[in-house]
Amino acid sequence: MTLATMKRGALLAAGIAGLLASPALAEVTVLGWPGGPEEVALRAAADAYNAKSDVADKDKVELLFFNRDGFWDKLQADLAARSKAFDLNLLATYSIGRYAPFMEPVELSGEAKAVYGDSVLSTMQYEGKQYGVPTDLSLHFMYFRKDLVDALMKDDAAKTKYAEISEKHLGKKLEPKAPGEWTWDDYAATALYFTQAVNPDSPTRYGTVLQLKNLLFNVMIWQSVPRAYGANWMDDSGKITVNSDAYRKGLEIYKLLYDNGATPRDSLSYEFAEANAAFASGQVAAMLQWNAAAGDLTSKEKSPAVAEVTDTVAPPAGSEGRFTHIHGLGFGLNKNAENKEGAALFLKWLSSKEAALIYASNNGAPALTPEVVAEVADARPDLVKLGEFAGKYGYVMNGGTSAKALSVYELQAKEFTGYWSGQQSIDDALANTEKGMAELLK
Amino acid sequence: MTKAQQRPLIQEFRLLATPVVLFLLVFLGFPAIVNLIYSVSDVSFETLRQPELSGLKNFAAVWSDSAFWQASWFSFRFGLLTAVLECTLGLFLAIFLSPLIERRSWLMAILMLPLMVAPALVGLMYRLVLHEFVGPVPYYLWTYFGASLSFLGPGSAFWTLVVVETLQWTPFALLLFYMAYQAIPSEIAEASAMDGAKSHHRLWYIELPLMLPTIVVALLIRFIDGFRVFDNVYVLTGSGPGGSTASLSIYIYEAFFKQGAIGKAVAASVILFVVSFAVLYGLNFIASRRKGAIR
Repeated sequence: MTLATMKRGALLAAGIAGLLASPALAEVTVLGWPGGPEEVALRAAADAYNAKSDVADKDKVELLFFNRDGFWDKLQADLAARSKAFDLNLLATYSIGRYAPFMEPVELSGEAKAVYGDSVLSTMQYEGKQYGVPTDLSLHFMYFRKDLVDALMKDDAAKTKYAEISEKHLGKKLEPKAPGEWTWDDYAATALYFTQAVNPDSPTRYGTVLQLKNLLFNVMIWQSVPRAYGANWMDDSGKITVNSDAYRKGLEIYKLLYDNGATPRDSLSYEFAEANAAFASGQVAAMLQWNAAAGDLTSKEKSPAVAEVTDTVAPPAGSEGRFTHIHGLGFGLNKNAENKEGAALFLKWLSSKEAALIYASNNGAPALTPEVVAEVADARPDLVKLGEFAGKYGYVMNGGTSAKALSVYELQAKEFTGYWSGQQSIDDALANTEKGMAELLK
Repeated sequence: MTKAQQRPLIQEFRLLATPVVLFLLVFLGFPAIVNLIYSVSDVSFETLRQPELSGLKNFAAVWSDSAFWQASWFSFRFGLLTAVLECTLGLFLAIFLSPLIERRSWLMAILMLPLMVAPALVGLMYRLVLHEFVGPVPYYLWTYFGASLSFLGPGSAFWTLVVVETLQWTPFALLLFYMAYQAIPSEIAEASAMDGAKSHHRLWYIELPLMLPTIVVALLIRFIDGFRVFDNVYVLTGSGPGGSTASLSIYIYEAFFKQGAIGKAVAASVILFVVSFAVLYGLNFIASRRKGAIR
């Protein structure tokens, strides 16, 4: 090897090293929620922001995604390790308390209040400080097959069978009702009626599909049942109140449906995607599911078997009324961000009306005020329902934004799925949950 | 060689070993010390750098936790069953397919394909394959029998996981046993044939004893792998139904990340380390005694 060759090699190596060490073109890295409508919306918003002429190159936005599985755990580890890999990260109502020590409060645009309203902005607040921009609101719809329910309501013989089934399994004769008037007992009776294991004449294999995997999100879906009967995590004095009749009622309804085959036996491993696949197959009559599923389940391309006959209402009512769990997803500022100024600029823009409309028009689910949502109502009628349900039926359990809220959900998921799968009694499940929550929320 | 002659050599060995020693100290020693401290401390994600000593409280919490014992039992049962199944199947295939593989060596590459798939992907794949509404297996069962097994239900999840693990890792045992089988000198087989030994006698009295060390090693490796299983089980069942498929690794992960009980999780991992070390030391001790007795 000649000296000249060695020099050229050294020059090339130095050049490569320089390239690797030089700052990337995009300077604000945003860690997003991958693989769903939120990712599509965030990409559209980031593209729009980067295309703006007044955004400097050093403040352009780059997106970073990792898998949904274990997302919050990985984020926890990254934040605790003072990671600088991202400037902005995803934040959820139920995890603000957990991540707040590693984040900084943010300043929103002057339009934010008019775009989102106070209650929605509060889903991103912790101890009176704003920690994020609420880009998506999640709540639950009761999805149902209107063709099946309409046919049931018109058929006298079917009504008689329905009454027999409800009396046998629920101890009272019930009549079919429109889903908008359902109580949880009506839902259970309808689910049993449309189950072939209970009613061999049912047009569907299962009356419902429950998400019973040991997963915190599944507890969020289920807890609207006990909430409708007055359940809460704790009372105003801080006493844990899960060992109650309301929780017992909610647990027993799911157990009744599982034990009678009203939901697939494998439901114990089901979460969002599996439940959607079951409903989209046309073999399920009704299910409680996140609003994010509405787009897919009413799309002729994605769910040809059910798209035209699927409708949604708010979750059924209990003795204390009708409720739906709500939480916001949004973006907040990493305390160890390398480009805090650029990140703050993007967050400010993201909380503006312009960004909210772009986000809403590209599959996002922001909860917008009536005046703002009217501008996208033709393209996104579901967002109107989202805002309406959130305002009328939305709730957050006492302690639901605390630092240990995620752990409480995890605990409940473990204990309650243990009961539904027959691993432990309802008394043990409730006692263990009460004990664990007292420890977590003390 | 005199001591004076040995000295430079020893210095050279020390110098050459330094990078490895440093590597072990940094990447194994430091985490081990931190783990030991955390296991006797009250610590959270916010106080990772300022843990407060709390004695043996974490160990007591693990010891009295029924979920820990349930996970230990799952790991032991899963590790043992899968190791035995994989090695039995692998041994059968190695001997049965040996003449074929000798002539068509590319067959081995095909047989090894399952090993190339990441365990988490295997879990994800079976989540789809076994799903009642999109998976091919339930589809054909419904089509031809009008019903399908609940593959991930309370009564069958464990066995489904055992089958999935066995399908993926049997090729590993097959590879080891095929190599060991091929290493048996052909003269032995020829001599036994001349002495009139039948093929099953040759297998039982000659080939299997010669392959015994490989069989033991394969069983041990597969047991350890099965015992510490995480990825495919977690993706497939998420430790359910009701925690019935939580392995020790999953128990530690859930205690650490999901419950935020860092001290408890680390204490469980320390217990696991001590027990594993004792078992492996015991096995090593027995093996060396047997070796001594044979000599």
